[in-house]
Amino acid sequence: MTDREDIDMLAAEYVLGTLDPDMRRIVDERRTNEDDLNAAIADWEKRLSPLNAHYRDEMPTRDLFPGIRARIEGARIERERVQADNIVEIDLLKRKLARWRIGTFATGALAASLMVAVLVSDFAAPVSDRQFVAVFHRDDTQPAFVMSIDLDTRAVIIRPVSATLPEGKTYQLWIASDELGPAPKSLGLLENASAPTTRSLGEFDPALLRNATFGISLEPEGGSPTGRPTGPAIHGRLIPVEH
Amino acid sequence: MGTSTRDLEQFLARAADGDMDAFGHLYHATSAKLFGIVLRILKNRAQSEDILQEIYVRVWERAGDFEPGRASIITWMATIARNRAIDALRRDKRHDAVVDDFDIDQLADHDDLSVADDAERNDDLRQLEICLGGLDDDRRSMVRLAYLDGFSRAELAERFAQPVGTIKTWLHRSLKQLKECLGS
Repeated sequence: MTDREDIDMLAAEYVLGTLDPDMRRIVDERRTNEDDLNAAIADWEKRLSPLNAHYRDEMPTRDLFPGIRARIEGARIERERVQADNIVEIDLLKRKLARWRIGTFATGALAASLMVAVLVSDFAAPVSDRQFVAVFHRDDTQPAFVMSIDLDTRAVIIRPVSATLPEGKTYQLWIASDELGPAPKSLGLLENASAPTTRSLGEFDPALLRNATFGISLEPEGGSPTGRPTGPAIHGRLIPVEH
Repeated sequence: MGTSTRDLEQFLARAADGDMDAFGHLYHATSAKLFGIVLRILKNRAQSEDILQEIYVRVWERAGDFEPGRASIITWMATIARNRAIDALRRDKRHDAVVDDFDIDQLADHDDLSVADDAERNDDLRQLEICLGGLDDDRRSMVRLAYLDGFSRAELAERFAQPVGTIKTWLHRSLKQLKECLGS
């Protein structure tokens, strides 16, 4: 069977409705960026939809429109609330960030190497408040790393964008949060400056992660000798996530 | 119905601009049709009413995606409804969904069609029925049970006393035969 036939049968069974739930979900995801699959689905919908004439009209027992309207308006209010919260959060995080910088300077253990970026996480997408993306900037222009967190799985993925690793150095990931005390806590080293690193943050609860500040510092090989970031912070920038 | 397809398209277009009253008209003109689909698949009135509300929220959210040239508005809405109903059916099959104790045959048709949208749809239906008629009896009823009642491969396997793998093979052969017969 060719790939084309596979895709056609996948589309056909998707429209027929006989795929199992996991497969249906996979098709739902794939069709958003696979034009041939999406087109095959549309063709099968066109072929089979005349069968819809066999469905008999049936009245719901009550008028459901007030409920529908309430759901739509509820979703809109929630979206606006999340957006308003984010503006507040950006502000809070900026202050948190400033405090961390001061704290890092105050430890006196600095200057040796350069803190690449500290980051402001936390932008909730309109449809999901479980996934966040943050961009770590080396300076005002070039993003160095992009980090994404999924609060459900508590997995964090750090993807290098334009980060290069000087000889004898390594990147180290940090988390800072009031609950964890005044000093940033190490989340380990980024093994490879040219490939994504995945970390499980299973030991932290989602609420903490949501409000935490993350940082990446450039450290001597083997990680920070002091257990704290050994350089001044520069800054991070927040980007919205659209699903 | 008293509401033309053109009216429905205008309600939807206005809904896409945030007009809730227009969306209300769309709901009242189409809810019986969509509810018939959902209830036949889920066979549980309370659950179907809940899912129907979700479906209309989805229609509202996607109102701007509708392209009149591609499918009729009713077909477009029916597709959203069927997909959502089948998702709900598959999800709940994992924890024994409640099936209402009513006569399912009351919902199942015996070739007494409800009103099709227009003459062109009737032609499409006639052509599809001719092609379905070319399938063996078992395979034809398999396709109908899957499409109209939301039967999964496993349920078809049980109904037709065949291994699931055989059902998959039969479905694929039937679908290929239909496609060829429909000449598209």
